[in-house]
Amino acid sequence: MARSHRAGGASSPALSRRGVLQLGGSVALLLATGACAANSESKPRDGASGGPTAKALRIAVSSYLSSWDQDFVGFDLTALMLYKNVFPYLIDYGVTAAGDSQILDTQNVTPTFAESFEPDATQRVWTLKLRRGVKFASGNELTAADVKWSKDRAFAAQANVAGIYRTIGLTGPDQVKVVDDHTVEFHQAFPSALTRQIQAISLYVFDSTEAKKHATASDPWAKEWFAKNPPTGGYYNVAKATQGQEIELSANPGYPGPDPAKTPTIRISVVPAASNQRLQLQAGDIDIALGISQRDIQDLKKAPGIKVISAASNRQVTIQMSVTTAPFNDVNVRKALAHAVPYEQIINNVYGGDARAAKSPVPLDMPGYDAAGYPFTHDLDQAKAAMAAAGRSTVDSELVFESDNEEQQKIAVQVQSEAAKVGINLKLTPLDPATLGERRSKKNVPLQITSGQLWVNDVEYMLATSFVKGANLNYSNYSNPEIEKIYEQSHTTVDQAARGRLWKRVQEILAADVPWVVVCQPNFNLPVRDDVAGWVQPMDGLARLRYLTASA
Amino acid sequence: MRILRFVARRLLQLIPVLLGVIVLTFLLVRVLPGDPVRTILGQNATEADAAAARARFGLDQPLWRQFLDYLTGLVTGDFGTSIQSGAPVGAEMALRVGPTLELVVIAVTIALVVATVLGVWSARRAERPADHGIRVLALVGNSVPEFWLGLVLVLVGYSVLGWFPAPNGRVDPDTGLTPLTGADLVDAVLTGNGPAIASAAAYLVLPVLTLVIGVVAPLLRSVRASALEVLHSEPYAAAAAHGLPRRTLLYGYLMRATLVRLPSLAALVFGTAIGSTVLVEYVFSWQGFGQWALRGLLYRDYPVVQASVLVIALCYVLVFLIADVVHAILDPRVRI
Repeated sequence: MARSHRAGGASSPALSRRGVLQLGGSVALLLATGACAANSESKPRDGASGGPTAKALRIAVSSYLSSWDQDFVGFDLTALMLYKNVFPYLIDYGVTAAGDSQILDTQNVTPTFAESFEPDATQRVWTLKLRRGVKFASGNELTAADVKWSKDRAFAAQANVAGIYRTIGLTGPDQVKVVDDHTVEFHQAFPSALTRQIQAISLYVFDSTEAKKHATASDPWAKEWFAKNPPTGGYYNVAKATQGQEIELSANPGYPGPDPAKTPTIRISVVPAASNQRLQLQAGDIDIALGISQRDIQDLKKAPGIKVISAASNRQVTIQMSVTTAPFNDVNVRKALAHAVPYEQIINNVYGGDARAAKSPVPLDMPGYDAAGYPFTHDLDQAKAAMAAAGRSTVDSELVFESDNEEQQKIAVQVQSEAAKVGINLKLTPLDPATLGERRSKKNVPLQITSGQLWVNDVEYMLATSFVKGANLNYSNYSNPEIEKIYEQSHTTVDQAARGRLWKRVQEILAADVPWVVVCQPNFNLPVRDDVAGWVQPMDGLARLRYLTASA
Repeated sequence: MRILRFVARRLLQLIPVLLGVIVLTFLLVRVLPGDPVRTILGQNATEADAAAARARFGLDQPLWRQFLDYLTGLVTGDFGTSIQSGAPVGAEMALRVGPTLELVVIAVTIALVVATVLGVWSARRAERPADHGIRVLALVGNSVPEFWLGLVLVLVGYSVLGWFPAPNGRVDPDTGLTPLTGADLVDAVLTGNGPAIASAAAYLVLPVLTLVIGVVAPLLRSVRASALEVLHSEPYAAAAAHGLPRRTLLYGYLMRATLVRLPSLAALVFGTAIGSTVLVEYVFSWQGFGQWALRGLLYRDYPVVQASVLVIALCYVLVFLIADVVHAILDPRVRI
């Protein structure tokens, strides 16, 4: 030991000074370069200090979109939100007031890039008339040929639009007919009250002249090109897209319809970590944070310079019980769980009181909602009575939820705790998206937490997606002959009063069968800088950016 | 010449290794529970839609057919089509590899320099306060999770001090950087874009620092241990006793012998750093290879998982090859 001290000590000064200086110099150089560079790029800070006069609105999102091609994309919420703003949607929802909030009005679908969209007397043939002189960024005019090509492409894709078109009796490209350069007809197999809403989310159009330049024999729909190149001609055009990092939108001055974009430039930056979105919002480097956790939102309500926009949402949190798998194949066990769930406690502990108690599987703001649809409250005595009626003192099950979903995890823990008091023993099972998807397709999940909102605000659509046999979101594997009959009947029932009667009966049946525990409807909360205004709550969860402004 | 022969031989050995990786990855990713197609279907999808999606990605074919198609694609440089995005995997990967490699190479290089200088310096002061201080610091650095460290650096460097840009990417988009390799600093230098160089450097500091702190400890400890061994060795004692100049002692006797073990450890650390980037990329919005591969795995995007594992394996093998060559150059006892 002593020897090593001497050896080291003998020659250390020469090495130590130089070595440490070299090292220190290198680190200092790196830090200085970084710091200088950081100071040199003062734009974001300027933007922050620019306040109300700053023209660019900065929005943080959690991920970059996976593709620009709406026909072939997976379930990507960032992408779907962007499409709403950059594709020319020929008709769109209007806006209405709901309390203090502005929300998209699903009962009022109006032409935007189109001139009109009206049915004939049979309500089977819908005629779309296009405005003249509407152009894509390429300079090509938007014509009936673009509509036809886009719909042909959607049917060929056999994906999102093709699936949703079935609901209104459109199953093949032959049903879309070009009448002249500015007129297209949609020939539905049956009349449907859903047509306007379905077309509001499906009638987006590609620049087919441009697309054909990039189509090849092996790729006739130019999939490869559209995956990488943003569409044009919507409320906004993509001025610049820095892969993985930022998308700059500029308002389309050629938009011919009502409510053009209020903010000329919007910069959408990708910030995956919620904590970083919060820091940037507080620093004024972003104006809107579209990916902040519930806990951060509660804290931000008190932060200076920030306000939290709260709007009623039709997102529903439910627990789907498999009616074909033990123990929930017994309706009394389902009722027991429905009475065991601590609704108020979840609303307070998970959502900080910022959620509405739901009284039906039909969302609160959906036309046809009836509070008789879910007559269950937290009542352990009734839960025990239901268990007794089932002839069971205890049952065991797993409770499945999404592995990266903090909200669902908290709900699961609280449900587990209360359910155990009535003899329902739940094993919490978090699953990753792919495993969850596979198990859902096999319909072998006895109990699972789900959360989401429907793209169309109508009970017929809800039945189509969630309650008829084989529906994609029918994880309960629920089936009821009367519901099936009502669903079939609803296709051709366009009278609103008659539809209302159907929906009332649907909710009576669901209240008796209890395929779901309806936990609550959380409000939508959006933290923004003080000077941001114009938020319109989308009923499909996909933000329309054209109403936003960065000044009060 | 001998080294070239060695390199050629090792490169040939790569073929069976990579073939093994290809087969194993192809099979294992399909054995994992999870259905990639279910994650891309819309609310109204039917079984027919699911079947159509499966056919679109060739997943309706028998396994052997899928494997043959995959192999044929690889030979022609086609990694397949991402199930999540519908875009070619090769093109997606090309955008993602550069940023991650830039991050890892810079971090590991800095960590190597820091570990070498501090490790030798510390060994020469063994058991003194400075030595203890460095060892404690290394231990702390090694114990802190990268995720947490990254968040703290963001909080201090960006939010409190305001020295560094917001963690929202890799370069200021307004610098108009033309992407060439995907490594923004390299691209900025290649295109002579001054503002982009400054911006990319600024964005690099905090994520690089996070990675350096995370990987420097094992390197430092190894260098220190090796240096102590050399300082205690007879050849070094003899050289010192003969009164050789300090510089000769340092570079001729201490440094070279000390660094012999470093290449193989550095190769291991390189692998660790690639793994660490998953979290670092998340914290710093880096949009690199790690996040891309992780998302591919979560959603069972078979072509993405297959391609990412293959590229990681290739990186590992090449880095270990380089380590072996450097080892051979540093250590005359090694025969290759």
